[in-house]
Amino acid sequence: MPLDQSIKTVLVIGSGPVVIGQAAEFDYAGSQACLSLREEGIRVVLLNSNPATIQTDHEIADRIYIEPILPETVERIVARENIDALLPTMGGQTALNLAVKLRKNGFFQRNKVRVIGTSVDSIETAEDRQAFHSLMLKIGEPVAPSARLVRETFEKEIARLDIFPLIVRTSFSLGGSGGRILKTREELLNLSHEFFRIYPEESLEIEKSLEGLKEMEYEVIRDNAGNCITICNMENLDPMGVHTGESIVVTPSQTLSDMEYHLLRDSAIKVISALDIKGACNIQFALEPDSGVYYIVEVNPRTSRSSALASKASGYPIARTSSKIAAGYNLTEIKNPITGNTSAAYEPSLDYVTVKIPRWPFDKFEVDRKIGVQMKSIGEVMGIGRTFEEAFLKAIASLDTPESKKLRIKANDETLRELIRASSDLRIYAIIEALVRNWPPEEVARISGYAPYFVYKLKNIADLLAGLKAGTIPENLRELKVMGTPDSIISAFTGIPEREMVLHRLGLGIIPVYKAIDTCSGEFFAETQYMYSTYDRESEFPGKKTSKATVIIMGSGPNRISQGLEFDFGAVKTSLYLRRAGYRTVMVNSNPETVSTDFDVSDGLYFEPLTLEHISNIIKRESPCKIILQFSGQTGQNMAGDLQEIFGEDLFLGTSPASIDAIEDRKKFAETLRESGVKQPEFVTVSKLQEAIEAIERSNLPVIVRSSFIIGGRAMDIINDRDELYSRVASLLEERPGYPVLLSRYVENAMEVDVDFISDGSDAVLCGVSVHIEEAGTHSGDATMIMGPDVPDEWLRQQIRNLVAMLTRKYSLKGFSNLQLAVKEKEIFVIELNSRASRSLPFVCKATGEDWIGAGISAMINGHIQGGEVLPKNYFVKIPVFPFNRFIDLDVILGPEMKSTGEGMTAGKTIDEALIKALSMMNIKMVKSGTALISVSDQDKTGIIRICRFLQASGYKIVATPGTRRHLMENGIDADIIYKIEDMREPRIDWFIETAKPDLIINTPNTKSGAIKDGHEIRRLAIRKNIPMITNMRLAEAMINSIKSEVNLDFLEIKEYW
Amino acid sequence: MERYLILEDGTVIRGLGFGYEGKSYGEIVFNTSMTGYIESITDPSYKNQILIFASPTIGNYPVWKSRIESNGPQVSGIVTRDAHAFLKSGSEWSEFNSFLSENGVPGIDLVDTRFLVRKIRENGVMRAYISSSPDIPDEFPDPMAEDVVSKVTCRESYEIFNNHRKNILFIDVGTKRSLVREISAIANVFVVPHNYKFEATDYRYDAIFISNGPGDPSHESVDGVVKFLSKKAGEIPIYGVCLGHQLIALALGGRTSKMKFGHRGSNHAVTDGKKVIITSHNHGYAVDRESLENTGLEVVQWDINDDTVEMIRHQNLPVLSAQYHPEASPGPHEAREFFIRMKKEMEGN
Repeated sequence: MPLDQSIKTVLVIGSGPVVIGQAAEFDYAGSQACLSLREEGIRVVLLNSNPATIQTDHEIADRIYIEPILPETVERIVARENIDALLPTMGGQTALNLAVKLRKNGFFQRNKVRVIGTSVDSIETAEDRQAFHSLMLKIGEPVAPSARLVRETFEKEIARLDIFPLIVRTSFSLGGSGGRILKTREELLNLSHEFFRIYPEESLEIEKSLEGLKEMEYEVIRDNAGNCITICNMENLDPMGVHTGESIVVTPSQTLSDMEYHLLRDSAIKVISALDIKGACNIQFALEPDSGVYYIVEVNPRTSRSSALASKASGYPIARTSSKIAAGYNLTEIKNPITGNTSAAYEPSLDYVTVKIPRWPFDKFEVDRKIGVQMKSIGEVMGIGRTFEEAFLKAIASLDTPESKKLRIKANDETLRELIRASSDLRIYAIIEALVRNWPPEEVARISGYAPYFVYKLKNIADLLAGLKAGTIPENLRELKVMGTPDSIISAFTGIPEREMVLHRLGLGIIPVYKAIDTCSGEFFAETQYMYSTYDRESEFPGKKTSKATVIIMGSGPNRISQGLEFDFGAVKTSLYLRRAGYRTVMVNSNPETVSTDFDVSDGLYFEPLTLEHISNIIKRESPCKIILQFSGQTGQNMAGDLQEIFGEDLFLGTSPASIDAIEDRKKFAETLRESGVKQPEFVTVSKLQEAIEAIERSNLPVIVRSSFIIGGRAMDIINDRDELYSRVASLLEERPGYPVLLSRYVENAMEVDVDFISDGSDAVLCGVSVHIEEAGTHSGDATMIMGPDVPDEWLRQQIRNLVAMLTRKYSLKGFSNLQLAVKEKEIFVIELNSRASRSLPFVCKATGEDWIGAGISAMINGHIQGGEVLPKNYFVKIPVFPFNRFIDLDVILGPEMKSTGEGMTAGKTIDEALIKALSMMNIKMVKSGTALISVSDQDKTGIIRICRFLQASGYKIVATPGTRRHLMENGIDADIIYKIEDMREPRIDWFIETAKPDLIINTPNTKSGAIKDGHEIRRLAIRKNIPMITNMRLAEAMINSIKSEVNLDFLEIKEYW
Repeated sequence: MERYLILEDGTVIRGLGFGYEGKSYGEIVFNTSMTGYIESITDPSYKNQILIFASPTIGNYPVWKSRIESNGPQVSGIVTRDAHAFLKSGSEWSEFNSFLSENGVPGIDLVDTRFLVRKIRENGVMRAYISSSPDIPDEFPDPMAEDVVSKVTCRESYEIFNNHRKNILFIDVGTKRSLVREISAIANVFVVPHNYKFEATDYRYDAIFISNGPGDPSHESVDGVVKFLSKKAGEIPIYGVCLGHQLIALALGGRTSKMKFGHRGSNHAVTDGKKVIITSHNHGYAVDRESLENTGLEVVQWDINDDTVEMIRHQNLPVLSAQYHPEASPGPHEAREFFIRMKKEMEGN
């Protein structure tokens, strides 16, 4: 069946802000989908609220709505655009859920819009465990025994159950949230009692736990004619019990015999055909090794995180092919674009190994590191090599965490054993440590549940590393490199600086060859330069010179807190811009979820760790005219100095490494500012004791000390005494070395501003000035930001222009920079300057409608800036999204350490319109006769009165904690009392939140030590109960103002706001 | 232990030896399947061939005896990138290694196998030695000039009776065990070697089946089979797989020719113009499409990428054969449909 001519315009649903379980992989899938449809002459309308994506750029879609992803929005878009079809399988669970909601509310009956690709029926069958299980029973495919508990009969049912240990789930899971493993009848009984007390109408699904079995995945594509192929399979190193998003995953499977491989493949095809999937999907299995017994775990009826991984691991563009199928084609009619001359109806053959390791935020969050059926990781890396060892070590090198740099861990044997047994991010390091200590591999395999094969492979690594001696460059360097040992690891084991290692190795001529990923193990000719390094005989595409000059673009590596797909947006735009300008672009990245690692974004893609070693090797091979580090986040900034030492200063496009160093060094930077008469902040972040001593000497008392984690309920303290300040800071730094502590003057009330600008070394142009709603002190990545024609006012804008001009000349800034300021009563303080692209740049591009990436690149390449400042014509809000529901031990209160995983964006003709849309994204809705729980700190008590008056007038019942209530009553506002936990009186606040489920909570942290813990408890409960909550007074005021304004909402194409 | 792979174009590659320690010679070919190393090295179709595994990690799981496809390894040697490495640091190189050495098969590891695959893709299959010396021998005789079928055909005929309705005369020109298993699951079979006195048998059969096997279908060693088939065509149904398929084409007037580097892998898509199935391939020769004109044979399935003839049938006579391996092992199982079709046709329903 060729292209379905009846499809003229498709609405593609994006996945919204990056959250845990749904990250950059949907930018990859969504962007590929849009491009694939447009290739067929189909007009693509996109709905996605995430400004950081490349998908929400007009290079990708014809019409873009950056609006909340809600049924109302879809209705409004359909009324404005001539939509024929909706594609909901490219935007993760968000898009699927939206499609299901739309069907429930009759949208598809009211409108002449149909779903293309996999049908909503199939989606619902795959997503509803019971429907899915009955289908599996019908076609004779095995699933784990399960049951559904309801309030009336659960006690009887539980008494009869014989499927322990079991797992408790709720439907429509996102990254497995809500899953818990219970071992005994009693545990299940307790949980059920609690559950039905709160949700008497709901049901609870339980299922035999398959913990300990081998976990396998197959990525499957099926077309409209029923042709069904598997793209690749994936083997989890961590056995069942660890979410596949949390597991180390190898592709293709390494320990499956041909019989097992095809046993599961047969089942996959049977199941996917029975579900009538049209496009890509993913199926998970639990396999009992060597016995042929298996269970189907679940099917994701859409592109998923695993699709992205499978796509990058195999070279097969899954989302693209899947979209073509949605447009009517069959596999036999689609070409495989990586070879250009073979059919898409083909199963990739891999002649290399890939290893994916999740990237957890434990370097930022002081939380429980256990991993299990719920996702905690926020990104992932992939290593590619010719052997498992090489691929694994490349993945390790890509992680960029404190543990991955050392590989070994300090622990006694007993602790080590426990670390190997229980799943956590440390397990893999514990295994290596044990093997270095010569524990028998079979024993390590038994304790960890890993297949012995992998443990023996890790043993190969451990044996080689055990031979390294401190202070000595190893004689068997070539052997180490063939095994895949990163220079950084050799450096960590020998103490020889990484730069010296790299230089020494290059001097010996020990350099890798590069091999192509071509989907066919070399069987067919492929022109695509999608490459990885290895130590072998033949290098492909060697010295393939074009007349074009080459520019290397360094990506930003794994998604992590503070370094996400915002940078990928810039890297991709840069590549597209430079290719149009006649350059050959070379992308380097290690993140399989990104658009930048799509092989058609650049002329050459190196899927490699972003380390000095690999960047140096690629520079040696490519002899580029320039390299761009500005879209690699902090990774490139940290590497700039070493790269300059090796390759000289001329190589760098943008601000010179010397200037980067002068800016990054806080002390040097502070001195320069002082000399220039620029004010410094009255707050400072310190992470070393020496910095702290200097800061304390300079600070005016009283000072608030904040840390990003809770120790004994004292995340925040007000301190009046210099000695006490010293001891408090010292103890914080000692307890959690490396975690920054923020010192700020009490009664700060400054406004924080993020300035993005481009420059050519002498002149600068402001791209955007974003004003934080929260007062200065909240990490800029966590702040709610506004851009607008009069936000900020012209006076401040002019001050900023002057400041930016001065800094540009001082540091000869070139390309992209980001400046953070605090402004208080016409006084401006510089908080931070970054000579690289920032997180807010994509937001700024999408608010102003300017291609700032192109303008900045042009300024760097051509040496002078073209064009000028552009003021936004409307109002735009950037809303951070937080992972608090994943980390119940992480406090909701924001501070100097970034906590958000992603952001959404809204627009409006007024601030209020943009803010009301922001509220709907935050799930805050005004209800009739609702209840609001109020508990605010002393300094916020004045502000809360206006808010409560409004809430009361809107029909809200107010419930407040004693102090807040007293204050409200004094000002004539009726409020019921609710006691804090420490009050030890009824009715208690935790009970109230659990049972009465208020509609809104406003809780701001009390700066007095001790009180913070109480607040923490409230906030934790609110998150668990999914109750809308505001924790910042300024944000609360802005929100209430917007609600009061009662504006009519318009949902417009983003260009209409420009 | 150093070992060398010496190609007829003068390329000498040093690697690490394992398995049998003697010298070996053969036609060098590559297979892109990611699983099934045991099935592959014991597949008689690889007689006189040195097999390169494109998949870099080989021997990751044990040598399952139940997966062996004949009486032992059949390849002349194997070339790998990272063979049974998990035993390097643990116990001795054991099971896989001894399986090879006891059966006279040398292996050479740590070789840039992708380099070889690309070389063969560009230049076609070559002749090669595995040797402990890097010296280039003077002679590179054609390994396919030998009578390879005689080396792998069964020594004596045997019967498998499973109380089926139909009987098949199964001509073993180097069959895999799984093929015998599949055919005996649909009919009673009488397995005979390629040089059997077909006319003299008193076994009463309803159809003939010709198995897979090594070498050139136009080699004189299988002339007898071709003659027998051309005589029987039209008399009773004839079916075949792989070499059997090629022999059927020859018997009915078609021609075969040697491919540049053949098809060896588990991922080949075969189509009938509408549907597509993924199939397991192992063939270095193919039936010429043009040669089938006026033979009554027609191409019903072909490779989606290079149009190679993958299944033929006769327009009027009960003749059906597949170039690929419906018995899989290694490879995907979709093509098992072939046996169901055979059974239906034979039984006339």
